[in-house]
Amino acid sequence: MRAVYGIVVREFVRFLRQRGRALSSVARPFVWLIFAGAGFAAVFAGRSEIDYRLYMAPGLLGMVVMFGSLLAALSTVIDRDAGVLRMMLVAPIRRGTVALGKTLGATLVGTAQALVVAAILLPVVGLAPTPGGALLALAAIVLTGLALGALGVLLAAGMRSIENFAGVMNFVVFPMLFLSGALYPVRHLGPVLHVLAHLNPLAYGVDLLKHALLARWADSGYGGELPIPLDCAALALFALAGLAAAGPLLAREGGVARAAFREQR
Amino acid sequence: MTAAAIDARGLGKDFGSVCALDRLDLEVREGEFFGFLGPNGAGKTTTVHLLATLLAPSRGSARVAGHDIRVDGLAVRRNIGLVFQETTLDRDLTVEENLRFAARLWNLPEHQAAARIEAALRRFGLFERRRDSVRSLSGGMRRAADIARGILHEPRILFLDEPTAGLDPRARRSLWELIRSLRASSGLTVFLTTHYVEEAEPCDRVAVMDRGRLAALDTPAELKRVAGVASLEEVFLARTGHELAQTGAS
Repeated sequence: MRAVYGIVVREFVRFLRQRGRALSSVARPFVWLIFAGAGFAAVFAGRSEIDYRLYMAPGLLGMVVMFGSLLAALSTVIDRDAGVLRMMLVAPIRRGTVALGKTLGATLVGTAQALVVAAILLPVVGLAPTPGGALLALAAIVLTGLALGALGVLLAAGMRSIENFAGVMNFVVFPMLFLSGALYPVRHLGPVLHVLAHLNPLAYGVDLLKHALLARWADSGYGGELPIPLDCAALALFALAGLAAAGPLLAREGGVARAAFREQR
Repeated sequence: MTAAAIDARGLGKDFGSVCALDRLDLEVREGEFFGFLGPNGAGKTTTVHLLATLLAPSRGSARVAGHDIRVDGLAVRRNIGLVFQETTLDRDLTVEENLRFAARLWNLPEHQAAARIEAALRRFGLFERRRDSVRSLSGGMRRAADIARGILHEPRILFLDEPTAGLDPRARRSLWELIRSLRASSGLTVFLTTHYVEEAEPCDRVAVMDRGRLAALDTPAELKRVAGVASLEEVFLARTGHELAQTGAS
């Protein structure tokens, strides 16, 4: 559909135009690799069959997709502040179409970032995926982007202003990252956190990325832990549920017009 | 008597306990230049948002371009253009990119969109600036680009919500010139909200709104004749017992 295409194109053009955002999103995982990687590697030194930086690589890719897609989708809040959301809502398209366009745009932004990072990161840590592994990794990246993009649009639709952004970072983004298995296996966490990890879309994305990239170390317990179809289904479910909930929320009265009404009073 | 472009029956909207629009009965004819005059808080923007299907009514109904706003929002939105008080353009994109984005949202085929975008850019004096970001445009040019965006899909009804807010006198004049030429060339119905009485003078008919209620509705000349006064400002005073500026300040 043309409207979805239009929204996706706009999202991507905006991303490319914000050089700082593009550069920092590509640089971020390497900062983690250097600092967190060095720290954890020192802790685990000599105790594991896998170099920590290698273990970290799928998680870092998952992290890039998460930040890329979630932040792009959260820009819906900025769209609302700037009025652009109204341009979309007054167009003869369904609310769900707006949510879908934003989600796909966010997915594209997250995927593009992850592919650029993968092209640098994998050779740096010495990971050479098989063709099948590379394909599965691509699927994992796209699915994770969809799930987190939809979640981001949903969060943005529920947010009143960009000021809630810090809250989202602290209570959504960081817990999601630490409970994803990106930095350490979640199975070592207590039962409560373990359950929470199962409600975390990023955990399924990272698990899928480990299937794709760490298959060689699966026997030593560092590969993916859940069945691949389950990972895929969970991510698809998060994406669909997020989209279904976000559409009506985007246009709810607290969003667009009530704000205009307040200004007017 | 031509068909009604807008036909509202008992249309109303509450925000929580605040009644923004009481029960509005209103008929706007096809091709009419209709003024919706009132101070801030009179319910003008709420009315526009209801008619444009951005808000769901709390009571009553309306038909816009023949379609029920409660059941056929898509058909209503297909037939209207809406220029908001604040710009809806993406400041990071160029003027041309914004119009192309709008054309896609309105599902215009690319070749048709390209022709219309170029025509609109030339007509609105934006052609030389088409590759500049909206951020770099003056307020007047930005407003012109907003209107170009609003009419790209050739709507039957154009809603202009306080279109001159924040514009300098010269930009205002060229905006009115633009609207005049649009109406002359396309028979467009224009629904204008404003709290400036002088802007309502050239309208075919004017509705005077006060605190969510319709206080008067007629041609500007008739409104003035009946009230026995010389200006619409005084009509407002006579009809509501208070001045535009008074309520505007609340």
